[in-house]
Amino acid sequence: MRIDDERDLHGQLEAAFEAITPRPAPIEAAARRGRAIKVGRRVAVAAGAAAVVAIGVLAVPTLLHHSAAPAPVAPVGHYTVTVQAPGPHSAPGLIASGTIDGKRWQLTEAKPVSGGPSGSVPSVTTSGPAFGGNAASGPAVAVDSGAPVFFYGLTAGNVQVQFGGVQADVTYVAVRLDNGIVLMLRPVTVYGVRAVAFAVPVGAEVLDATAYSRHGEIAAAIPFNAPGGVAAFGVWLNPGQRGLARASGRIGSGTANGIAWSVTAFLGPWGICIQAPATGITSAYCVPSLSYLDVNSGDLSMSGVSLSVAAGHAPASTAWVIVNQPGATTTKVWPVTVAGEKLFAFRLLAGPQGVSWTAYDNSGHVVAWPAG
Amino acid sequence: MNAKLDGEFREFMHARWPVMVRLAYGLTGDQGHAEDVAQAAFARAYASWPRVSRAGDPDAYVRQIVVNENRNRFRRRRVTERLTDSPPESGHADVAWTDTTRHYDDHSVLIAALQRLGPRQRAVIVLRYWMDLTEYETAAALNCSVGTVKSQTSRALATLRQDTELVDEGFQ
Repeated sequence: MRIDDERDLHGQLEAAFEAITPRPAPIEAAARRGRAIKVGRRVAVAAGAAAVVAIGVLAVPTLLHHSAAPAPVAPVGHYTVTVQAPGPHSAPGLIASGTIDGKRWQLTEAKPVSGGPSGSVPSVTTSGPAFGGNAASGPAVAVDSGAPVFFYGLTAGNVQVQFGGVQADVTYVAVRLDNGIVLMLRPVTVYGVRAVAFAVPVGAEVLDATAYSRHGEIAAAIPFNAPGGVAAFGVWLNPGQRGLARASGRIGSGTANGIAWSVTAFLGPWGICIQAPATGITSAYCVPSLSYLDVNSGDLSMSGVSLSVAAGHAPASTAWVIVNQPGATTTKVWPVTVAGEKLFAFRLLAGPQGVSWTAYDNSGHVVAWPAG
Repeated sequence: MNAKLDGEFREFMHARWPVMVRLAYGLTGDQGHAEDVAQAAFARAYASWPRVSRAGDPDAYVRQIVVNENRNRFRRRRVTERLTDSPPESGHADVAWTDTTRHYDDHSVLIAALQRLGPRQRAVIVLRYWMDLTEYETAAALNCSVGTVKSQTSRALATLRQDTELVDEGFQ
């Protein structure tokens, strides 16, 4: 064949790829994981909803804050925590239990329902006096092949719970906290999935988590600790690997219905997180890399009670961005350079559906446009 | 998600799973990795399915996530291969890729040659010549300009033409 002959090359590639026989489509696994992503988003919204009453008071000082580094987590003071894997006589579905300042907590996964309606997501729930009469539930424990531990965070009362599915080669996970405690998490198999969990007071900072196999360290993750929210584990770094350098900046601001809003991006070893206090969501929304924010692939939007925002990442030559929203509404926004990357944020008028944007350089030439 | 949308997603994934795995395989050269990437892409599509479905082109959505997921995993795993306009001097990006491609020499000398291209050139060839995307669609999937697609295509084809193993197998 001739490489220059497009049809010939297509035919050769077709034949080569046809030789690959994928395993049957893992539809259930993808749907389960997709539901976990959705529930994870809702959990973040729910965690933030409790703070919405305080927004009127907190918005102004927050908006005046120009952060050059990740916002500090409010100190939680002295605290002690323990974590314990279930024993042979533990209740079915128990992932882990422990204490916070002597008060017990536990996290349990409900037995998965086979053949139930698609919305019946098996989920984990919190219980115990440590939560002060509150409770939270989250998605079923899921494993992600890209991470030794696929952590999800919940808040219930004044407690943050982290749980996640664990890869087969992980023998234990060490979690370092800001009070010097190192929690050793031993995976247990719950309904066929290896899982770990731990709980700390809201405001306690999780410094890092390191996964070990029998042969040594596999990878470590440094989470983004959202003030008043949960630690967001985005990126796992191999031994010796360095993540993104820490940087932050306000990438968008404005006024909506008389309320000032702004969006701040935090880059660091966790990936990229954004916070927009005016949405009422205290947790950060994070993605592992900037490419998630590229044209038409970015899912980084936050929908609060009265305000929704979204963030994007544009090519280096971008001078401005035209955002198109349903209803033929267009908005011109100017990206902000954070750690050499062009980032921007804008207010969503009716949710992320149907939103697209086009980036232009100084000469008015298009440098990035919606896909599809 | 309601039952109708759920069923729609299942039908879509069932139909398009092989194509997306093969796309990911073309980008990675590793079937296990390709299936992971494709599954992650479909999971993200499921999470946003009402929006994806309404947009009318779920294929483009999942395709783009496959491309992005693959790129992200490259970065996360710190594979030493880097985006480059020029082929590596040795003809092999790094030891890891040499090992990977060796497994697949049996499948296709062409696939192995693809793995010796830089990631962007490889993606351009797979998207343009296997998926039959236009230059515009390829640029959108890779988040680059049409000009970049053209230049990467030209360089990738030139590299393939000079690939000694392809020439030995009768490719010209």
